[in-house]
Amino acid sequence: MTGDRKIRANRANAQASTGPKTERGRSHAARNALRHALSRPVYSDPVWSEEVEALAREIIGAGTNAEIQELARRIAEAQIDLRRVRYARHQILSQALSDPDYVSETMLGKKAALAIRILRRSDLDTPMPDEVMEFLSSKPEGPNKFATILADKARQLLALDRYERRAQSRRKFAIRAFDAAGRR
Amino acid sequence: MSKRAGLHPNANSKTKSNISPLAKVQGLPLLLPGEDDDAYHEFFSRVRTAVNPVDIIDEMFVADVVSLEWEVLRWRRLKSNLMQTRGLEALGQFLRAHLDYYVHYQKYFEQDLAEILQDNLAEGQTEIDAQALAHKCARDEPDADDKVNQILAGINLDMDDILEPARARKAEELAHDYAQRKLGAIKLIDKLLAEAGLSIDTLMVRALPGELDKIERIDRLITVAETRRNAMLREIDRRHAVLSEALRRQVQEVEGEFEVVEKTPAATKSAA
Repeated sequence: MTGDRKIRANRANAQASTGPKTERGRSHAARNALRHALSRPVYSDPVWSEEVEALAREIIGAGTNAEIQELARRIAEAQIDLRRVRYARHQILSQALSDPDYVSETMLGKKAALAIRILRRSDLDTPMPDEVMEFLSSKPEGPNKFATILADKARQLLALDRYERRAQSRRKFAIRAFDAAGRR
Repeated sequence: MSKRAGLHPNANSKTKSNISPLAKVQGLPLLLPGEDDDAYHEFFSRVRTAVNPVDIIDEMFVADVVSLEWEVLRWRRLKSNLMQTRGLEALGQFLRAHLDYYVHYQKYFEQDLAEILQDNLAEGQTEIDAQALAHKCARDEPDADDKVNQILAGINLDMDDILEPARARKAEELAHDYAQRKLGAIKLIDKLLAEAGLSIDTLMVRALPGELDKIERIDRLITVAETRRNAMLREIDRRHAVLSEALRRQVQEVEGEFEVVEKTPAATKSAA
C-alpha cells in the first residue's frame, strides 16, 4: 500500500507538472491533436459520420436486428478510421515527394552550419569554393529522395502506424463479433 | 478548397450510383507520384477475381490485401533502386580512378576540347581548324598542346578542366551501360575490376554502409506491410471457412427440406 509520505510527494510532483510553461510550448501543445485530427472520433465530423452510416448500411444488408446493426456500425467506424490514417500518411509522403526542392531539415542544418563557418573565416567578397557551392545547392533525387523523406518523417509515420494498428485491430474483432452474431 | 474537405479522400470521387467496390471500401487508391493507376486497378481486379468476395467485408479485406501488397512492391522497388543507385555511384567513382586516357576517354576529351575551341576561335580560324587542333592536342602533339594551353588560359581554363569532365562522362556512361547489361561495358568493367583485384560485389559492400540505416528502415516497412497483408489473407480464410461452414449448414437444411418435399409425393404414391 502507498504510504502517506509517498502520496504527498506524488501530489506535490503532480502540482509541479503542469505541462508546457512557455507561450511557444503552450501553443505547440494546443495544436497537437489538430495536426491530423485522428484522435477525434469519426462522429465528430458530419462527412465522416455519413460515410460510416452508409458503409454500415452496406454491411448490414436487409432486415437485421439491433445487435447486428451496432456491430456493423463498429466495423464501419474502424474502416473509416483506417481510411483516415492511410490518407494522412499518404498526404505526408506525396506532399514531400511532389516538392521538387525537398531538402531534409537535418541537411538544411548542416548546410547552414557550413555556410556560417565559411563566411566567418572569409570576407564577403571571396567567392565560396565550388565544392561548397555544389554541396549547398545539392538536393536528394530519385530513390535517395524517397529514402530521405522516410527517414525525416519516421516519427510522424510511426505515430500514424500506431493509429492504423489500433483501427485494424478494432475492425478485426468487430468483424469476428459480427460474423459470430450472424451465425447465431 | 477548405482544410476540412481536404481530409476526405472521397470528396471528389464518383457518384454513389457508379461507385466501384474498391472506392466503396477504400476511397480512391492512395498512389504516390509516379505510380501507375491502371496497373493498380488491374492488380485489384485480378486479386478480386481470385478471392471472389462474398460481401462488403470481404471487399474490405481484398482492398487491404491489394493496398498492402502494392506497398510491399513499392518498398522492395525503392530498396532495389536505392542499392542500384548507390552501387552505380560507387562503380562510377571506381571507373573515374581506373580509366585510362589513351584507351578509354581520349575521344571524349577530343570532342569536349573541339567544342570549346570552336566557341573561342582565333581570328582567321575555322571550325575545321579547331577540330584539327583538338585532334592533335588529344594525341599529345607538343605544338598543339602549347597552342591549346594558350587559348584555354585566355578563358581561365586549363587542360584538367576538360580532362576531368571527359573522364567523369565516360565513367558515367559505362556504369549506365553496365546497369543495362550491355555486353561491351560488362566485359570492360569486369576486366578493370579484376585488374584492381576487386569484384562488383566488393564495390557494393564498400558502398552500402552509408545506406544501411535507410535500407533497414525500408526493410522494416516491407516486414510491416507483409505481416499485415498475411493477417488480412488469414482473415479472408477464416471468414471463408466460417461462411463455407454456414453455407454447408444451409445446404444441409435445404437438403433436409428437399427430402421432406420428396418424401411426401412418394408416400402419397405408396399410400395410393
